[in-house]
Amino acid sequence: MSDSSSKSLAPTDWPLFEVFIRSKQGLDHKHVGSLHASDAEHAIALARDVYTRRQEGVSIWVVPSKAITASNPALKNENFDPMASKIYRHPTFYDIPEEIGHM
Amino acid sequence: MSALPSQSLLLIADTCLVWGHRLSEWCGHGPQLEEDIALTNTALDVIGQARSLYQLYALRAGNGLTEDKLAYFRGADAFQNVAIAAVENGDYAQTVLRSLILSAWFVPLWRELAIGRDPELAAIAVEAEKAARVQRRHASDWTIRFGDGTAESRRRIEHAISTLAPWVPALLAAEIDGTDRARRENEWRSFIAEVMAEATLDAFPVGSSSDHAFEANAKQALSALLHEMQSLAREHPEAVW
Amino acid sequence: MYTQAIDTDPTSRNSPTSHASVAEDVFLARIAQDEKIEPQDWMPEAYRKTLVRQISQHAHSEVVGMLPEGGWITRAPSLRRKEILLAKVQDEGGHGLYLYSAAETLGVSREQLIDALHSGKAKYSSIFNYETKTWADIGTIGWLVDGAAIMNQVPLCRCSYGPYARAMIRICKEESFHQRQGFDIVRALCEGTPEQKAMAQESLNRWWWPTLMMFGPHDSDSTHTGQASAYGIKRISNDDLRQKFVDVTVAQAEFLGLSIPDPALRWNAERGHYDFGKIDWDEFWRVVNGQGPCNEARMHDRISAFEEGRWVRDAASAHAAKRAARAVARAGALEAA
Repeated sequence: MSDSSSKSLAPTDWPLFEVFIRSKQGLDHKHVGSLHASDAEHAIALARDVYTRRQEGVSIWVVPSKAITASNPALKNENFDPMASKIYRHPTFYDIPEEIGHM
Repeated sequence: MSALPSQSLLLIADTCLVWGHRLSEWCGHGPQLEEDIALTNTALDVIGQARSLYQLYALRAGNGLTEDKLAYFRGADAFQNVAIAAVENGDYAQTVLRSLILSAWFVPLWRELAIGRDPELAAIAVEAEKAARVQRRHASDWTIRFGDGTAESRRRIEHAISTLAPWVPALLAAEIDGTDRARRENEWRSFIAEVMAEATLDAFPVGSSSDHAFEANAKQALSALLHEMQSLAREHPEAVW
Repeated sequence: MYTQAIDTDPTSRNSPTSHASVAEDVFLARIAQDEKIEPQDWMPEAYRKTLVRQISQHAHSEVVGMLPEGGWITRAPSLRRKEILLAKVQDEGGHGLYLYSAAETLGVSREQLIDALHSGKAKYSSIFNYETKTWADIGTIGWLVDGAAIMNQVPLCRCSYGPYARAMIRICKEESFHQRQGFDIVRALCEGTPEQKAMAQESLNRWWWPTLMMFGPHDSDSTHTGQASAYGIKRISNDDLRQKFVDVTVAQAEFLGLSIPDPALRWNAERGHYDFGKIDWDEFWRVVNGQGPCNEARMHDRISAFEEGRWVRDAASAHAAKRAARAVARAGALEAA
């Protein structure tokens, strides 16, 4: 994903799109890369040619790169570290008697 | 089983190969990296179709004939391709317009062959029709962008139309056994008319018959193309690659 | 896929620790722990610059690398080879695109990167300034040049910059077919007529030394290796990679019945490696600096494709703008109704 500064972007540069591909039916779309296209439909057509040359997918999403809002990396610690202490959310936190078996 | 006569099989195969060759000339020289990759996909599709058809033809002919003997050891006079396939690429407008003209012709042809009486050919046609649809979409999108883009792109696509239009009557007149030529022509005309309208271009000018001068030009372009394509293979006629 | 360890930018010769700051210490500690750096993370300017230079050089190499092989697509001697070569050259374009995308995450636009190539500011792998004179060269490029490139690239899949590492993983996955198809071409030649075999040997004679140069200057002469490895961008030294390449390739050449054009080549049991002759670095720098057999032709081809494509790109932009404007107008009309 690009956080490219817009300095001296020539008008001929097609906008950048992020490409997401569903590799097979039943799975999530996953970010695979980006490409330039004149508009979103064009980006879908090109993503098919660029990112599925080896049958990597069955469905494509494209999003203009500038439409993505990202969390602030400087807040990474305060955002995500507090979750580490909540170990009771994980099933392995609890002891189940052997006699009970799988639960 | 009712096999398509070999003449018709060769017409389709040779058209695919010669056109694929022209498309492949763009590889590495496209107007944008993404587009270079997209156009090459269409080249790979039609060259792949040519191979499958030659293999089928060779298998039926026997006598040790192979796809490569058909592609590399026949002269221009023996090639049966529709003439427009061999015309030089010109600029990108002319290249995509040729793709539009040919893919709009191929989609109904493959569809008909896919449910036709020649099961081996039908198996090839089922896959080829899908690829032809993608190619037709790619070519129509660009024709529309050019017609309804900038003044320069409009001028170029109009020029491409006047350059390529004289080859169209021969394409539409091509008979393929076991298929409905008139229906193919109708579908071609209505599809092209829609694209021209969306591109804000004038109706596509299809003449009544192709000029003989154009036929001669086409043979010349084909000879040059084959001379290049076949040069190495003919230098080493005994070689296996 | 083609990287080449060349470094001609003096800024990269600064040691990363020479302008140390707290932020930089934290950054270096993250690298040392094999943590990945992502586009929005803080990074030292020298790291960003080194990456932009290396990734774009790498991208340019892919795209320029389409040309020497591309010239043989129309003359491939069988339909099977034509199809494979076309797909392979197309892949190089794809690899260039993945890499440009990775570079763009560092705040430069594709157009800026391409400008730098066309103006001669940016370099690309000098191997592509050699001529592809015969069909055998297509085999040799796949076998040796792609083989050398893979050796350079596999370690880059673990490089510290996330987008570059991810692009390299995708590229390396696709790349293995490239080397194999090249070896397969050479093998068919070696098992073919005497003329074909001679063609293969002649090609190996021309490409062997330029391929060894692809790994870049000797470690002792390469000022940037220290920094690039401190940054986790380069993982294995030029000489180690080159040695590894020679060691595996000798056996492959023996299998093919080809002889490597180096009288000094011999197994050194003590080192457990092959010794090999001296590389002509004058030639290397000549070609890097623009005096190779095809530098001009390659740049001419790239620049004319770009310039001749400008009206095509402009048309698409203009059409997209018109469509967007019409959609807005339609929505407005609906609202008004």
